[in-house]
Amino acid sequence: MTATSWAITDDVERWVVVVTFVLFFGSVLLLVQELRTRGQRSWLIFASGILAALCVSLAAVRPVIVDSQATLVGPRVTVLVDQSRRMRLPAGDQTRIARADEAVRAIASHFENARLTVLGFSEGPMEPLPTGASSTHGSRSDLSAAIRELAGTPGERPRAVIVVSDGRVSRPLADLEDAALREAVGALGVPVHTVRVTDVTPNDASIRGVRAAGVAVAHQPLAVTVEVGCAGELACGRLPVHIRELRDGVAPAELASGIAEIHDGVGTVELEITLDRAGGRVLEISVAAPNGDAIPENDTRYMTFEVARERIRLLHLAGRPTYDVRALRSWLKSDESVDVVAFFILRDSFGDEPGAPSFELALIHFPVDELFTEHLRSFDAVILQDIDAVRYKLTKYLARLAAYVELGGGLIMVGGPSSFAGGNYAGTPLDSILPVEQPDDDKPSDPKSFVPRYTEAGHAAEVTRPIRDLLGDALPEMAGTNFLGQPRPGSIVLWEHPELTAGGQPMPVLALGEAGDGRTIALSVDATHRLAFSPMAAGVAGRAYGALWDGLLGWLMRDPRYEAARVEVVGECIEGEPDTLLRLTRLPGMRGSLNLSLVPLTPETKEPIIRELAGDTVEPVEIRVPGLQAGGYTAKVRIGEAPPSRHDFACERGGTAWADTRPDVPRLEAISRVTGGLAVNLDGVGQLPLPAATRVSAQREVAPVAPPWVWTLASAVLLGVHWVARRNSGLL
Amino acid sequence: MALAALCPTRAHAFGQEGAFQPRVLQAGSRALEGPRGTAPSRWSWELIRRTSAPARLTVSAVAADSTALLEEPFTMWLGSEAVAPLSEPEIRGLRRYLTLGGVLFIDDSNPEVGVFGSSVRRELERILPDSPIVRLPAQHVLYKSYYLLDRPVGRVEGPPYLEAISSGKTLRVLLSSHDLMGALAQQRGGGWTFSVEPGGREQRELATRLAVNLAMYVLCLDYKDDQVHAEELMRRRGRQRR
Repeated sequence: MTATSWAITDDVERWVVVVTFVLFFGSVLLLVQELRTRGQRSWLIFASGILAALCVSLAAVRPVIVDSQATLVGPRVTVLVDQSRRMRLPAGDQTRIARADEAVRAIASHFENARLTVLGFSEGPMEPLPTGASSTHGSRSDLSAAIRELAGTPGERPRAVIVVSDGRVSRPLADLEDAALREAVGALGVPVHTVRVTDVTPNDASIRGVRAAGVAVAHQPLAVTVEVGCAGELACGRLPVHIRELRDGVAPAELASGIAEIHDGVGTVELEITLDRAGGRVLEISVAAPNGDAIPENDTRYMTFEVARERIRLLHLAGRPTYDVRALRSWLKSDESVDVVAFFILRDSFGDEPGAPSFELALIHFPVDELFTEHLRSFDAVILQDIDAVRYKLTKYLARLAAYVELGGGLIMVGGPSSFAGGNYAGTPLDSILPVEQPDDDKPSDPKSFVPRYTEAGHAAEVTRPIRDLLGDALPEMAGTNFLGQPRPGSIVLWEHPELTAGGQPMPVLALGEAGDGRTIALSVDATHRLAFSPMAAGVAGRAYGALWDGLLGWLMRDPRYEAARVEVVGECIEGEPDTLLRLTRLPGMRGSLNLSLVPLTPETKEPIIRELAGDTVEPVEIRVPGLQAGGYTAKVRIGEAPPSRHDFACERGGTAWADTRPDVPRLEAISRVTGGLAVNLDGVGQLPLPAATRVSAQREVAPVAPPWVWTLASAVLLGVHWVARRNSGLL
Repeated sequence: MALAALCPTRAHAFGQEGAFQPRVLQAGSRALEGPRGTAPSRWSWELIRRTSAPARLTVSAVAADSTALLEEPFTMWLGSEAVAPLSEPEIRGLRRYLTLGGVLFIDDSNPEVGVFGSSVRRELERILPDSPIVRLPAQHVLYKSYYLLDRPVGRVEGPPYLEAISSGKTLRVLLSSHDLMGALAQQRGGGWTFSVEPGGREQRELATRLAVNLAMYVLCLDYKDDQVHAEELMRRRGRQRR
């Protein structure tokens, strides 16, 4: 196909053209005005003036003749297929993504003369899709971002866009005004046709959304609003909603429950929960769906709540006042972030004789029952310092204390004559959660002075770094120790005895352990106060004591500063998707091989998923874990000999994408309407209009209409004629 | 019990490392004077008998310029006569001890004359030049750390207050013009070394209670200021006054 046209030469700027034509039309107006005011009707003057001005103008803009040869090709059409995992939901007896594949095939058939590009959109950049092989991923389907990306791509723009979806896209939002919707999806300026993959709303009750009023803070009530949806033909009236916390090795704890009253297919219930432990906590939010629920997978959501800690609340129990008690209390009280509730036994009712009636004494009853039944949950950690379990009636609460630790509490047992076996803790429920065994020995302690020494793990652990930074490997002499047994499996010994042994190995002096969701510390000596007050302590102004206890308490409370590694889930963990990606980052200075142990947060003991990586690479490591089921998980990472770091996370079925299963046909129709497109279902693909063919130029020849000197000469001659005509008419 | 026979080393049985010990400061070339030599042991004995706190009956003397001063956080300085100016090493030793968190109890054995007290105050100005001596308020935790007390007494009734140098909420130096050790001192035969005036036996008991409270304060600091104790102790105070 050949076509001829004219144009202004390419080397003239647009503003020159504008100025030229303004001057031309200005001169015409002036000429007309002059002739009218002088009462002259000389066509010669008028014509010669106009033509002279025109020739001058053409000499300036230099018009050219363009001869072009072109071919017509099929229009470019882009098909955007919704790839979010919502498209795995059912559409009749198929999935929505399978219907989308059908739609793409029908479009390809209908637009066989078009140049069709099929792209998938959900989260992040779009990706090309081979016809009929669509997969799903991502919680969101952002159509606005997809169209913006298309508009920003260099090259030929499509003549039309066809969106294949169920309409429940994340963006553009539902119920937008036409202008806002046009702005959201009209960046290309072409019609956006939509093909809905289903019109059928499934019979489904689901947790549509969970919102918390603010940040979760340990021990503080948090209002959680749960939105429950009920769609299709399902009969919903009052649906029970439960929130439970998943914990390691024990049954989930029910935090709150309520009833959602369903009106017009939706109901909300506000529940107040209190999370006692800081860090990542996994909650299970479930609705009891009525019979006939077609999609039970979205009746339960698993969500990770990051719980902050405002202050650490400690219970400090001491069997007698000593300089060791004094040092610990002084340090705890000096820390503004620690809230201490202390009970020290100042008078032993079995033998002490104060010689005064009770009202002359400043002594109060030790509220052991109240502490261990009513208030225990409110503490982040308990410190037992040289307090006899039998003498002070703790025995019957030790099972409760052990359960408290397994549910995420912290426990430190500090040495003394009435600690460990000397305090009648051997063989009790508390014994089993301590990081060390307690030997069967009539003699609970050794009076011989010694200087503890660091183990290999003690050198590697972040928890001891602050004190090692101050004192190196030096430690003060300790006046005796409780006898401790071997460390329990998984426990870490930081200090050991230079002479005493347990099970053929040096006896632990300071050991860390994990028990269920909680952590425990065993310290067999009662003289760490010498890190605060002694000639050695004076060398570092007494700061070594705070350095030790800051590390111990920090580790107990999972302070990231004292963890060997950081663990995070990259993206989401969704049941049924190929892999969950865990990123492990070592803290600076942490050396040794990396061991990942992943276990589900269930009451039953499950075989952990283990991954081991040799080497000391500083860069973050990503580990793929396939086939995780929905629920809560705890990932424990150990670097070399250092104590393990832990991260709890949730794995969902469908997650946010499956929260609302209703197709949104009106939204697809609105998108088409505001962009001049057509909204159809699968059967209506044949109605979609084919855009006009695109003309592609193959050859283009440009030649001036006349050389500039011709225009200039013509204008000079015409001006001469114009001058003569004026003189003859007396207009000069 | 003669202090000269006491051993200054740190060999303690397990559980005794953190026990209260009323160590006696040797400063200005003066040790504990003879008649009150038994008072520190009596103090420990009363503490053991009346409370659950461990204490060492065998007490020691410690020099102000010795590193042994930093072995434990409590020391008392007794005397009846004017103290000679401390040497520079003694000043530095005491300053380091107090800065690290040690408590120094100063007990004037002859408050009627007061030359010891005034000379010690002079030395305290050299040790802690920027720390003023102030009266301890009657609400201070020292008066409720074990017994509920209204005022301090010792061998003499003395002024109704103790004086102190504090660092924040913690006492660093406590000054008594009551000869507290005089009320606790015993003869070898078992009788009291000094008569207590004007209150006699009752005053000696109150002096003993003050000593117990002082030991408890050293061991527990402001424990009895905790909120969990406040309501009950206020109620008992009211009952005492009625």
